[in-house]
Amino acid sequence: MAKKTKSKEAAKAAVLTDKDKKTLKSLRELASEVASFAERSRAPHLDVPSRSLSNVKFNQSQKIIEMGSGTNRRELFNLSQAKAYMQTLLVGSGAKRLIEQGKTTSLRGLYYMLKHTIEGTKEETFDEQSETDGMIEDVEVLLNSMREELHLYAKNAGSMVGNITLVDSGDEIDCTRMGSGGYTIPSIVEPEVVQFKNCKAKFILHVEKDTVWRRFNEDKFWVKHNCILTHGGGQPPRGVRRLLNRLHHEEGLPIYCVLDNDPWGYYIYSVLKQGSINLAYESKRMAIPAVRYLGLRSSDYERCELTPSVQIKLNDQDIKRAKQIAAYPWFEKKKPWQKEIDLMLANGFKLEVESLISKDISYVTEEYVPQRLEEGDFLD
Amino acid sequence: MCASGKGVPTLSAAKSSRLGSSQKALDFDDSAEAAAKSNGHGANGHAHPEKANGSAARSGGEAAVGDHDEPPADDADRPATKRRATAESMATKQRDISVSEFFAKNRHLLGFDNPRKALLTTVKEAVDNSLDACEEAGIVPEIWVTIEATGNNRFKVSVQDNGPGIVKKQIPLIFGKLLYGSKFHRLRMSRGQQGIGISAAGMYGMLTTGKPVRIISKLSPKKPAHYFELQIDTKRNMPEIINGKGEGEDIAAGEKGHQQMQKQGIDWVSHYPAAEGKEPQEVKSGTRVTIELEGRFIGGRGSVGEYLEETAIANPHVTLHYKDAEGNEVSYQRSTRDLPPEPKEIKPHPYGVELGRLVTMLKDTTAGTTSAFLTESFSRVSSSVAKKICDAAKITTRSNPRRIGRQEADALYQAIQNTRISPPATDCLVPIGEQLILKGLHQVVPGEFYCAATRPPAVYRGNPFLIEVGLAYGGVSSAQKVSLEALTELLGETDARTLRQFLMNTFDGIGSEAADKIMTEAQMGTRQSPAKLKKEEIGQLHAAMRNVNLSEGQSMQVLRYANRVPLQFQPAACAITQAVIANNWRSYGLSQSRGNLPQGPVTIMVHMASVWVPFTSESKEAIAGYPEIQKELRLGLQAVGRKLGMFLNRKIKVRQEGERRSIFLRYLGEVAEAVGVIEEYDEKKKTALYEKLLHVAKRKTVEADTRLDDRGKKIEAAEEDFGENVLIVEQPDTPHP
Repeated sequence: MAKKTKSKEAAKAAVLTDKDKKTLKSLRELASEVASFAERSRAPHLDVPSRSLSNVKFNQSQKIIEMGSGTNRRELFNLSQAKAYMQTLLVGSGAKRLIEQGKTTSLRGLYYMLKHTIEGTKEETFDEQSETDGMIEDVEVLLNSMREELHLYAKNAGSMVGNITLVDSGDEIDCTRMGSGGYTIPSIVEPEVVQFKNCKAKFILHVEKDTVWRRFNEDKFWVKHNCILTHGGGQPPRGVRRLLNRLHHEEGLPIYCVLDNDPWGYYIYSVLKQGSINLAYESKRMAIPAVRYLGLRSSDYERCELTPSVQIKLNDQDIKRAKQIAAYPWFEKKKPWQKEIDLMLANGFKLEVESLISKDISYVTEEYVPQRLEEGDFLD
Repeated sequence: MCASGKGVPTLSAAKSSRLGSSQKALDFDDSAEAAAKSNGHGANGHAHPEKANGSAARSGGEAAVGDHDEPPADDADRPATKRRATAESMATKQRDISVSEFFAKNRHLLGFDNPRKALLTTVKEAVDNSLDACEEAGIVPEIWVTIEATGNNRFKVSVQDNGPGIVKKQIPLIFGKLLYGSKFHRLRMSRGQQGIGISAAGMYGMLTTGKPVRIISKLSPKKPAHYFELQIDTKRNMPEIINGKGEGEDIAAGEKGHQQMQKQGIDWVSHYPAAEGKEPQEVKSGTRVTIELEGRFIGGRGSVGEYLEETAIANPHVTLHYKDAEGNEVSYQRSTRDLPPEPKEIKPHPYGVELGRLVTMLKDTTAGTTSAFLTESFSRVSSSVAKKICDAAKITTRSNPRRIGRQEADALYQAIQNTRISPPATDCLVPIGEQLILKGLHQVVPGEFYCAATRPPAVYRGNPFLIEVGLAYGGVSSAQKVSLEALTELLGETDARTLRQFLMNTFDGIGSEAADKIMTEAQMGTRQSPAKLKKEEIGQLHAAMRNVNLSEGQSMQVLRYANRVPLQFQPAACAITQAVIANNWRSYGLSQSRGNLPQGPVTIMVHMASVWVPFTSESKEAIAGYPEIQKELRLGLQAVGRKLGMFLNRKIKVRQEGERRSIFLRYLGEVAEAVGVIEEYDEKKKTALYEKLLHVAKRKTVEADTRLDDRGKKIEAAEEDFGENVLIVEQPDTPHP
């Protein structure tokens, strides 16, 4: 809280935090490298750590995905890389300006900040936001700095209710009194911004999306079971993942997930548990190897006696994706998971959490989840 | 019934062929008589008119065969009517056929099948002879070709050279007797081979116009020149001298002679064309032959102009002056004064000799023993090889070759085939040479890239041969060079039915695709008749031909040569064309659809030099595809193809470098700006960084720079890249596609 106030004042005085200084230093290194290349009449290039499946490895002991040492060379004097090279440096210069002025901006904001027509041409520096987003991630790995250290944030996504009080930017927030919408989890939840004050909850139930979360909130599931209820709006953004990670580690709360029974749901679980391939460098801060998968399971169709009308047929992409997930090193050796995925493929259909509503509106909150929790029936 | 049914059509065929041939024979007799009258040699002319008629009727080979078929095989089927002829009566009509008579009727065998080709063949034979004579005498050839229209589809063709001249005694025989020459009996690389050409041309002229062949030949500036007017007695295959009471005329040397020639209307180029202000030099010796013939003068493909142009390519040591029937004059200047080395005459190689020839050789030899016969008559046969052959044939080496019988000769022949004999010496071949091919191509075919490859000599059927390939890339097609007037004329004289056909037939390098492109551009129907075009339409067509980018739709132009003589007809039947088509040009950067010539502004010339070029027919239009020849062709084509591929690759690379540089330049400013922001540079420092980056960019794309900055100058050919014998000409205003 104190720090945030300071940085707001720093807008004029440009007083920098230690983290800012570190980021600026690595930014300068990046830029001076270009100058030194030019000085020596060499063609400048950047070695960007590779953010692909080939460059991640599964750390067996820590049970998280880690980024390997592989890099991709990005050269200024290479026909296909010249523009990307320029864009990388532009993002760097944008971050520099933000840090200097002590301001933060959204990803979209940065896109507009850097987007302009290249002098003497009709070409734009960036055509779509996806281009800046990719470059930002490259700069993150290049500088070994997180997005928030570049003074950037994503749009807020994800909500939280439950028996916890926290401080966000100096404001105390009681998450038991959040009405029907819940506390919106911000993009940056680092200890400088969010501190936990009083946590009485015993576990966290993370659901896939807003609609399911509303069901649980309305039924006051978190009151009955003394837990924290979160959702990530599909694939949870970094803010949500970081918050879950912190709650798990700092408050010692176990986490259970209720996700759709489809490859997409499996992958959300995988990202929460081991980290994502794209952001493998963030796994240490984000992955929660102890997270448990509560549902929905492929066997629930029979167990819960669902009707055929709730089935959604697997398409080719789903089948391909499921096989891909089954082959990930972190799923490969888990027999229950292999069985689970095999069963889904054998079923030939997927199930959404909402399908349980066909039984009863509150079936999921009053029967399904409590039963599973009681039986301890979940996948690891 | 069956047999007679078969007999009837044969009979009628025989009749009709007899009718046809007697008709021709009559025509011929007329002209012969006419010639005889004008000549005053009555005795020679009308031998036995009736008999001549009859014999002419029999002389066609087919007719004779028909006669033999005529009597039915089975007596029972013999028709009741009276027998038409008896063996005795038929015997009275069976007699010798003179070579001249035979060729007079089978003129197509010698390339006189149509008036247009007759004109070309005449020029061709005369020029080939002139070149052979000059080279043999060691004179740098200069040839004057003149075609004059004398009306009534008749043309006067004159070809003069600066060769050694011909001695008086030989002139009538060389020009007035078929199958008389120096080239048939020796194995030596020369243009002519059989000794039919020029006399056949003279005979054709005589048959179609009745005019004699006129020859003037000068041996030295001081001696008088000889002037002959000749006709061929086709029955005897002998020359008849018309002027000077059958003796020919002598024309005095020097100025007096020139006046005499002018008075008599004899054309003679007395002086070489000289540069401005220089004394023209006298033509010291030479021969000029003038033949008047019925012909058709059409430009374009297969024309005299094309032949001379192609000759100039393969003979860079020759200067050609050409004045066509429309009075246009073209000169192809030589690009070197070095004559090709004199080809050596060789003895035949044993592998190339057939049994029949072997038998004749055995009979004719003067050698005392078979061993001596073998070593003396053939190349590469040492006495030990001869012994091996004799042993294998079970003939003693000391046996008399003239007494060797048919059986033994056959054994000898088989023994030769089974004995290992080293391949013939190949120093008898004189290639044009890669350097001269480049010069020749560059002189005549406009382009930006030239390369050439001369293959080492190889052997087919015991005959040494050698393949040379030259390639020119780029430049404009002949269709784009043509003027509006020339196009109008070409349209007027073409016999193509449709405009599309006209375009494809007349212009080199226009394939069906390019023709369609032009038609679309000109907004004309493809089936439009070329003769009926209005003036504006011709203008439209002309503009379209200029505007359409033909280099894409253009198909490769293949120039074929055999012993430096261009081959203009029957491309599809020729081993050269087949090899070009079979080659995979796609791997060298040209587009090519299966079974077709590749596309692109490419001219390829292929020269086969050999002591005996295997033509598919007597008209010497296509080379036969022996496997050894095909292999050499393939290797030669691949050699130039690789170089073309490298050039095209580099061209693409240069273009890409250019693009690359502009892309880099585009981003350099942004990069310098971004670095400036992070490093908090001032403007000066930022500019300095930009300059430095620019420097690196330029260095990186230096290849593109040489082209962009030094426009109009030659790109330095990367000698080490292409290897030798490559010529690159910078095209200052080639539009980039």
